[in-house]
Amino acid sequence: MKRLPKWWPTALFFAVLLSMPLWITDGYVLQLVFRVVIFAVLGMAWNIVGGYAGQLSLGHVAYFGIGAYAMTLSTERIGWNPWLGVLLGAVVAILAALLIGSVTFRLRGPYFALATIAAAEIIRVLVQNQDQLTHGAVGTNAPLLFEAPNLDQKFFWGAVPLLGAVFALSTWIHNSRFGYRLRAIRENENTAMAVGVNPAREKLLSLLPSAVFTALAGSMYASYFSFVGPDTVLTIEISVQAALIAMLGGAATIWGPILGSIVLTLTSEIFKTYFEHTHLVVYGALLIVVVIFLPGGVISLFEGRKRLRRETGPIGSVQG
Amino acid sequence: MHFVQAFLNGLLVGGVYALIASGMALIFGVMRLVNFAHGAFLMLGTYLSYYGWVLLGLNPYIFFPIWGVVLFLFAVGVYRLLVRRVMGANDFLQILLTEGISLALVGLAQLVFGADYRQINLPIANRITGFGSLHFSVGYILSFAVSCLLVIALTQFLARTEMGRAIRAVAQNRSVAPLMGIRVERVSAITFGLGIACAGVAGALLLPIFWTNPTVGAPYTLKSFVIVVLGGMGSVQGAALGGLLLGVAEQFTAYTWADRYAEVVNFVIFLLVLLFRPQGLFGGKA
Repeated sequence: MKRLPKWWPTALFFAVLLSMPLWITDGYVLQLVFRVVIFAVLGMAWNIVGGYAGQLSLGHVAYFGIGAYAMTLSTERIGWNPWLGVLLGAVVAILAALLIGSVTFRLRGPYFALATIAAAEIIRVLVQNQDQLTHGAVGTNAPLLFEAPNLDQKFFWGAVPLLGAVFALSTWIHNSRFGYRLRAIRENENTAMAVGVNPAREKLLSLLPSAVFTALAGSMYASYFSFVGPDTVLTIEISVQAALIAMLGGAATIWGPILGSIVLTLTSEIFKTYFEHTHLVVYGALLIVVVIFLPGGVISLFEGRKRLRRETGPIGSVQG
Repeated sequence: MHFVQAFLNGLLVGGVYALIASGMALIFGVMRLVNFAHGAFLMLGTYLSYYGWVLLGLNPYIFFPIWGVVLFLFAVGVYRLLVRRVMGANDFLQILLTEGISLALVGLAQLVFGADYRQINLPIANRITGFGSLHFSVGYILSFAVSCLLVIALTQFLARTEMGRAIRAVAQNRSVAPLMGIRVERVSAITFGLGIACAGVAGALLLPIFWTNPTVGAPYTLKSFVIVVLGGMGSVQGAALGGLLLGVAEQFTAYTWADRYAEVVNFVIFLLVLLFRPQGLFGGKA
């Protein structure tokens, strides 16, 4: 037992995931798994800032939208290859994160959450009103990152490495000094400062990779559904979804966002088959249930309670 | 003259903003709770007012107190059932909980009322009156007047009644208040109910001059935050002034620049105030 390497569940998970397009023949099921993967990426990216550093960002949709729009507009307006556009999205997301982060991280608690919403809303309104450049509120077609045939399979195989990359980053953060510094900030910013952590710097550092992966997920999402519009890739619902996925699975854990994405996607899909407009009720109900009954997330059901206290509990219990 | 018209239009809208934001300021000041569900409760107010008029013929300008009471009771229920459980927790969980309540209410409204836009046709609200070259819709004037009266009533209630004193005591110090014989739980429930009733009544008053759908409340949640920050977090009078100010700022932006950038101006003001004058524009305690 002890000889089995520690990473075997991870290897098994990704092997199964990668093989899925080979044995899943139903296009609908594959689309569902694709969405689980993309939203897991989103949740993991959010988890770096929201989980480890404990900063409740409700403006992550800004980076999601930047990724989607940068890819679309650079392809459409300058004639770039869409993959170059994806790269551009990541670069713009870093610049936006530097700007937004340096302003919003000066604030704490609810003020920070509100400021991130405000920043994302400013971007949404600007995009919505620059009709000449962005097609305004109507939105436009996003370019395809892959060529037919077998689009579903190709997109899926494009998304899994993205999940792998953010998974590797999360694993590193989870075990690194950087991760401990972030958790120190989450527990108590003043105490963290007293032991030599520079919160402004660490928080900004945590936002950069978070923004990049959010932007990449945004590009991939927009290309898959071949559409960008302020109501789809710049709506505050995406920000809430990112937070919900991480919290639902278990904030500041490696597997939490993946679990959260599976639970959220499946629950809302099941309800969707019965009623037309249910996803909001489902999101709302899940948020309420998680906050009140399961602040450690679904993952805490699998782990010992003591371990949970140490690893994830403090988000709910300690005043920052 | 356009300038004067824009200013007065801003004041009229701002009066309703003042009522909405007073409710949020009350909840924040007393309970230290940032209520992300504020706009969702406002939305419920618009639907009460809508069905009251369509099904029962109840004019919202006369029967708004009933809708206020209904929302007060509903909010007390929500407090007892859900909000109470996060009162000791940090703002991270509080925000997620109220956001969850908001999503659930909006989602339920979509299920029950449908996603369509709805409007009522109240003859008095559509009339236009004017002085010289200035023109006003009577609906705006009525909504403004009722909102102002209610904000004044709220401040008087807080200043003069025994319950108001208890609420202010809890706002000052949550842990000492019970030593003075104040039932903090009860005061919190009543505060939450009152704050929500403000939002709901404002919704009922907005319906005759606006329209409604399940997502109509979202911008008002954000506007209330902007106003509450402008007025100094937790100050009801500050929020009332902030509401008027935001209404005027929006109208000026619409006149001098473009209608659609009014929202951006809100958020820019918001960020600037948060960064450079976090105690609010009207001073007071930080």
